[in-house]
Amino acid sequence: MISKGQLNAEEIKIQGLLDRFLRVRSANSNFNNNHLDEDSLAAFVEGKINEKESPNIIQHLVDCSFCLHVTGELAKLHMAFEADEVVVANPSKEPMKFSEVLSGIMSKIFGTNDAAVFAHEEKEEETEKESDEDKKVF
Amino acid sequence: MIMLEEFTNLVYNIPIIMSPEVIQNEHLLEHCDEVIDEIYTRCSQNAPNFGVSLEWFRESLHRTVRKYLFSGSTNPLTVSDVQNFLRELQADDLFLALACSSGSERAWWEFDQNHRAYLERVARHLASSETNAQDVVDTVYVELYGTRVIDGARVSKFSTYSGRGSLRGWLRTVVWHSLVDLHRTSHDEVSLDEMTENVGEGYAQASFAEPSLDGEVEMIDQLTRDRYRKTTLNAIENAFGDLDNHEKLLLLYYHVENLKLREIAKLVEVPTSPLRDWFQRKSAQRESNPNMKIHESTVMRWLEKTYGKVLKNFRAKLLTQNGLKEEEIEICLEIATQDLASPNLYRKLITT
Repeated sequence: MISKGQLNAEEIKIQGLLDRFLRVRSANSNFNNNHLDEDSLAAFVEGKINEKESPNIIQHLVDCSFCLHVTGELAKLHMAFEADEVVVANPSKEPMKFSEVLSGIMSKIFGTNDAAVFAHEEKEEETEKESDEDKKVF
Repeated sequence: MIMLEEFTNLVYNIPIIMSPEVIQNEHLLEHCDEVIDEIYTRCSQNAPNFGVSLEWFRESLHRTVRKYLFSGSTNPLTVSDVQNFLRELQADDLFLALACSSGSERAWWEFDQNHRAYLERVARHLASSETNAQDVVDTVYVELYGTRVIDGARVSKFSTYSGRGSLRGWLRTVVWHSLVDLHRTSHDEVSLDEMTENVGEGYAQASFAEPSLDGEVEMIDQLTRDRYRKTTLNAIENAFGDLDNHEKLLLLYYHVENLKLREIAKLVEVPTSPLRDWFQRKSAQRESNPNMKIHESTVMRWLEKTYGKVLKNFRAKLLTQNGLKEEEIEICLEIATQDLASPNLYRKLITT
């Protein structure tokens, strides 16, 4: 919370009261199945939903603890990958048939094709390991 | 605003009823062909082998305009609004997504080259094990390609990408949701809502503690205390309810989602961010430098202002609606402060 030096005594009290009230309000809120889709969530977190488009989305986030939580988690994720946004193509390889790639994935998931093994060759990028264990959500 | 189910209908070409906001603005699209042609030409030059037709691209852009600009807007729009909106879209990302959704080998190769390593990093960052991370990446690839067939056409998840945000931002969201689904599947089919709800309950109960009443506190009659408590809770609920939605959302991110000031600053760093737009609506500095960076201190000032407003509203409710005197307001705040060590009291009151 904001430190005591920046708020007067009454504001500190109201901050504490508000903090408790909001947590309990959130824990008690009802969920429904009407949530924002992935496209809207992603665009909102990136700040691409401007003031003209946003009233209904902001209203929904205030009312829906689930979507609020998703945008909160996505905002943290966005920040963690802030320096990782530049698209760098790997020009070294020839185009491969995507059907082969997909076949490999399908065989791993469904075990239908022993021969198809997808060997991806971007080892140098894979060495960048995220070590921040407390960021893991599951 | 179009919700998940409605948007799915849109993407899968299931007829939906257009809202009045969409219908009244529909004619504006007729004046945007030139801008769309211009965007299409640029995208085609950047990716000549993707096989995306102008008609298909145009229809996709129309869908995005309807979804975000027409549905969300309460004020009258102009042709210029629509044209500016179209120019802001992540057109190259959308072009790639459309081509991938149709199964273009070249587009898939580009996607794999440019985004697969990123997908894997996001999955590893979120997942608890390398196996889970790899499972999620595989699952996302299958979803992106699409395994369902409707009316003879394969339905790719790429069809739900609108180009409003970046493709990578959208991919992060897809990976996040896939991990939640994976977690749910491996935890006896606990529903997503239940899971989130339990997390919330757990958090709320984690700091519960029985109140320890000292001698001075015991001097106040318990019934009177309860009455003050209930009055206090109603007042804080009303004071919060009177805030603008932008202020509410800021408080919720800070207090409920525990976002740090720098994370909120990141969330609002884009000049078009609605939270930033609202909090800086009267800022002269913003007029002169609309792209200025948002610092943590700026977010802190927004929070301080909001606390001040809540306190003002809170006092006004107690004074005018409840007819309390100044000294009684002090008692309310004092009791509330003492009770913070025992938040279950508020938990009970809020449900009654």
